Amino acid sequence: MKEAVFTFFSLFTLLTAAGVILSRNIIYSAFNLVLCFFGLASLYLLWGATFLSMIQILIYAGAIVVLFVFVVMLLNFEKPTEQKTRFSIIVLSSAGVWTLALILLRVLSKSLGEIPSLETPAKASVRTISKLLFSQYLWPFEVLTVFLLALIVGIFVLARPEKEETP
Amino acid sequence: MTLIDFIIAALKAIVILVAVIQVVPVMIYVERKVAALIQDRPGPNRVGPFGLLQPVADALKFLLKEDPIPHYTNRLLYTLAPFLSLIPACLVIAALPIADKAVLFGREITIQIADLDVSLIYVLAIGSLGVYGILFGGWASNNKFSLIGSLRSASQMVSYELPLGLAAVGAVMVFGTFSLREMVIQQEGTLLGILPNWGVFYQPIGFLIFLVASFAETNRLPFDLPESEAELVAGFHTEYGSMKFATFFMAEYMNLATMSGLMTVIYFGGWHLPWVSDAKLLEILGSQNLLCIIQVATYIFKVSVFMFLYVLIRWTLPRFRFDQLLTLSWGSLIPIGLINIVVSAVLMYVLGGK
Amino acid sequence: METLLPLAILLVVTLLLCAGILIVTQVLGPKNPVPSRFEAYECGIKPESGSHVPFKSSFYLIAVLFLLFDVEAAFFLPWALVYKDSLAEGPALLWALLVYLGLMAVGLVYILQKKILRLN
Repeated sequence: MKEAVFTFFSLFTLLTAAGVILSRNIIYSAFNLVLCFFGLASLYLLWGATFLSMIQILIYAGAIVVLFVFVVMLLNFEKPTEQKTRFSIIVLSSAGVWTLALILLRVLSKSLGEIPSLETPAKASVRTISKLLFSQYLWPFEVLTVFLLALIVGIFVLARPEKEETP
Repeated sequence: MTLIDFIIAALKAIVILVAVIQVVPVMIYVERKVAALIQDRPGPNRVGPFGLLQPVADALKFLLKEDPIPHYTNRLLYTLAPFLSLIPACLVIAALPIADKAVLFGREITIQIADLDVSLIYVLAIGSLGVYGILFGGWASNNKFSLIGSLRSASQMVSYELPLGLAAVGAVMVFGTFSLREMVIQQEGTLLGILPNWGVFYQPIGFLIFLVASFAETNRLPFDLPESEAELVAGFHTEYGSMKFATFFMAEYMNLATMSGLMTVIYFGGWHLPWVSDAKLLEILGSQNLLCIIQVATYIFKVSVFMFLYVLIRWTLPRFRFDQLLTLSWGSLIPIGLINIVVSAVLMYVLGGK
Repeated sequence: METLLPLAILLVVTLLLCAGILIVTQVLGPKNPVPSRFEAYECGIKPESGSHVPFKSSFYLIAVLFLLFDVEAAFFLPWALVYKDSLAEGPALLWALLVYLGLMAVGLVYILQKKILRLN
């Protein structure tokens, strides 16, 4: 039963991810991206990583894609010119992706030992993650905050509104 | 995973969803009647006794009207957008705990659709998805006023999700859990002997921030500039007729019900009666199911108080200007939220775990 | 896993509801295509320019700032979860919070000072 649900959501994620790339209209791509994140969040739920799945929806689907859509709406994108991709390019890129996938699979299975099952590891509860975050990983946490602060300043430097905008 | 389990699960989902959807016609009537009372006029009184069948008339009207789709719009998105608002509004009710257990078919059923151990984050996350219906609706309408309205509304919703989250962080600090059900269970009994042990007495500022932010999140006056009836026509849903328009409204009222529900659950004790503890009630009543009914009734009463408050404020206060709205969020609510967290943290440290 | 089943059912029922609403409107409404109904509405006047607004950078800035502060708020949540229990071991988490909050406040003050949010 769990395997069936897992297969369904994995397929869903993959299909919507393909939809992101293959859509003609950029807004459709953004929408497919939201669905893809949903699929990912459901997969996390299946593994019992509830906190991670909710944060995934909160931040990825709820903030990042919103940002994308804002940008798309503000910049009036022209329709891309229709241009059929050459067949050779499709073949070569598929070969490249397959090779990469095989390499990754081999490397991961070597390092993890076996493919993890769908049982919830006991260490993944919210409380344990939180405790870890503030004991063992405290410094990375604080450094991340400084990084975010740098981002804030950077955004302003890059996207300063023009001087003509008087209050 | 027996059949009975499946039936119970299906019953829970469907019954609670239908109950929340019923809020919509009730709110339509209440809103217009209360608006009328505030404005010193009778309000709907033609359709049925005291105008009580008004929502039915409205629903029929919406269903039977033509559904024009303007030219040059992106048809798929135009049709999809109202449902993008409705789906998160329907999904978010899953985390609200309505009552404690009921005993049916020999099992204990918790009256809540999904008791995740992270239900608070679930609510925040699904709530943040409500922006998409507005964004796509405005964009797909091929109307620059809709576009402006939707961008402003989206900015507003997005700016007020942060104070909402910060107020929620305060609540999480006090209760020590993300699960809404746990929070309600902890709010039993009395505090210092006189006050009911409700969240609002632990986090009064948090409650105020949450209250203000929830007005903005649901696009209600005094924050409804994006749908301002006099300025931008009807904002991002200018181009939507009949049922699609009605769908946006259903989503808005359901969001209202959810926000009211959240406030009762986090700050006002959820299903608990003020000074009486559940165990005592169980003694008096004898039956768990009877207790459950009283709990549901208490919950509904508290939620109704908040919904009434929403309507009251809508017809009382004037509207904010857009930059005032943003300054309120980034300049006032977020700093107050942060200060609330610091003060609560320090107090908790000093009092050793309040 | 059992807790998620009602949620899945809720999702399915919601989708069915949406489909139902769509079908009902298609079936029940009269279809009367009058051309003037289909133009963009601008208070009854013919629409003048194209339907896209000139770019206002403030909207973009709000979205980006929301993103950054959302991430920071997402870090607040696990802190809040374990704060109560950690008080038994001393004020370590309190200091962690104060440092974190201080940095966040610096960012906030910076934004407010730059008056970016003064929209017209």
